[in-house]
Amino acid sequence: MRSKLSPAAKIYLAIVFVVLYAPIFYLIFYSFNSGGTMNSFEGFTLEHYQAVFDDNRLIVILINTIIVALLTGLFATIIGTLGAVGIVSLRNKKMRNVFLSLNNILIVSPDVVIGASFLILFTMIGVKLGFASVLISHIAFSIPIVVLMVLPKMLEMNTNLIDAALDLGASKRDVLMRVILPYIKPGIFAGFFMALTYSLDDFAVTFFVTGNGFSTLSVEIYSMARAGISLTVNAISGLVFVITVGVVAIYYFITSRSKKAEEV
Amino acid sequence: MTNDTIIRFDNVTKSYNSNTTVLKGVSFELERGKFYTLLGPSGCGKTTILRIIAGFETPSTGDVFMNGKRVNDVPANERQVNTVFQDYALFPHLNVFENVAFGLRIKKVKEAEIKERVAEALKFVNLAGYEMREITEMSGGQRQRVAIARAIVNDPEVILLDEPLSALDLKLRTEMQYELRELQQRLGKTFIFVTHDQEEALAMSDEIFVLNEGNIQQSGTPVDIYDEPINRFVADFIGESNIVSGTMIEDYKVQFAGRTFECVDGGMKPNEKIDVVIRPEDLHVTTQEAGKISVRVDTQLFRGVHYELSTYDQDGNEWLVHSLKQAEVGAQVGLDFEPEAIHIMRLNETEEEFDARLEAYHDED
Repeated sequence: MRSKLSPAAKIYLAIVFVVLYAPIFYLIFYSFNSGGTMNSFEGFTLEHYQAVFDDNRLIVILINTIIVALLTGLFATIIGTLGAVGIVSLRNKKMRNVFLSLNNILIVSPDVVIGASFLILFTMIGVKLGFASVLISHIAFSIPIVVLMVLPKMLEMNTNLIDAALDLGASKRDVLMRVILPYIKPGIFAGFFMALTYSLDDFAVTFFVTGNGFSTLSVEIYSMARAGISLTVNAISGLVFVITVGVVAIYYFITSRSKKAEEV
Repeated sequence: MTNDTIIRFDNVTKSYNSNTTVLKGVSFELERGKFYTLLGPSGCGKTTILRIIAGFETPSTGDVFMNGKRVNDVPANERQVNTVFQDYALFPHLNVFENVAFGLRIKKVKEAEIKERVAEALKFVNLAGYEMREITEMSGGQRQRVAIARAIVNDPEVILLDEPLSALDLKLRTEMQYELRELQQRLGKTFIFVTHDQEEALAMSDEIFVLNEGNIQQSGTPVDIYDEPINRFVADFIGESNIVSGTMIEDYKVQFAGRTFECVDGGMKPNEKIDVVIRPEDLHVTTQEAGKISVRVDTQLFRGVHYELSTYDQDGNEWLVHSLKQAEVGAQVGLDFEPEAIHIMRLNETEEEFDARLEAYHDED
């Protein structure tokens, strides 16, 4: 710690976090309400959670969401990592910057634009809207994120390591498998988890490209919320929140462990 | 070319883009089992030569031969050469054992043999018992040794060292100079050592190549280069020196600082303009009457082993003197030196001409 925070700063910080987290905890709090509305808390119950698990349709959607997220994480990580390696290995500075800019534009461009353009693309080439279209578009918007997570590690890597490996007789493949990938592993993990969370909570893109009875959690929650307040929505949201916290905790655990290994 | 030649450069040039030329036609031969040093200031092309030998760079023109075979297009991973990098370039995700074993694993050597050879290599660099340490747990000097072990374990014909001592502190650096020299003699392998530190070069090498601006200025044993520098650059770069302009009256007679002196050089045209080098340690302070040159002491620094005097003669030439005795600042003193202490350098003489002249007048003796 460099400096101790003044009491005023501490209070300010506390207020910020309260404001940020209050709606979520409010929502989760009422998911245990037996009253059926969010007006007054009448008694503790797990029946809304029970309702979630009893609703086969919701469970299928939950599983769909998780499968899409995992597959997105997997493919986006593979493609994004190779992309980052490729971008860094470009000798031409101009070309490298062009690729990086193209990558960053995809990250900042609105989900609605990406969603709409994918919808147009899929209908034009005749891909049926559903699982495949959702997965493809999720992978597509996750790749730039993975690239962005892996890139710093790639740039930080001493290029002499590659020369050293070649010098010791390694082929290009050896260099990638034995030197580059182990070195950028923390970045790859970070990219994977980022892709996972982006896919889990994406609404806008999915909303455009889903169809044919296929749905993900965020889209489903949206339609349920529109249909009228039901505390089942709260229960699902609570579950999603817990899962997200879990993923963040895993990510934190992995990165702090690899950092420790580096620093000792 | 003798049978012992392991590496030969034939008029090698290297340029990046079209305007920056790093090497301007470099030719040399290296013999098996010797300790060579490429010495020069930064940007002289010494590291480029090393990278060309390692196979990381290809020459723009000219040929590189290894064991008599042209290797211009042989990639780095197919060369019998291993490098110790300036920053060691150890793999941070592998421990000491795996770092050293890296090359052997690539070659799919059997596990038992890997264990044996890694243990042997680590013993060679005095790191036995450190196998399971992480690289991050090793000190700078130890990392240095791991890097050397990683190179020698592959039993290469040539080991390249790219300023490997520059990151170490002075004491460790001196220690490693002894160790490297000893290691090279025990292994009997060709070492090519790149440095900008002239003391390192003088202490360790069988032969030194002094480079400047992409050209080899002079090559020879440390003693040759120190005693008979070919030009101002070499004289200045290798050790401290007093360089003044003079005239060669005739063989063995040279004029500088307003007087004519006896010397041991010859083979030049009468009255040729030349540069004279006298090393500071060859100058002795005496009385004004006994000295060959009369100078005024300007400043004096205590260097531990000796005093370093900066003195000026009547013509304003600076004479640096290493003296064991203290002198008085501002005093007029005389400087004495032997005829052997005078080294003559012809202006713009090439290395071939220099060697030929040296041989010619030594034969006369």
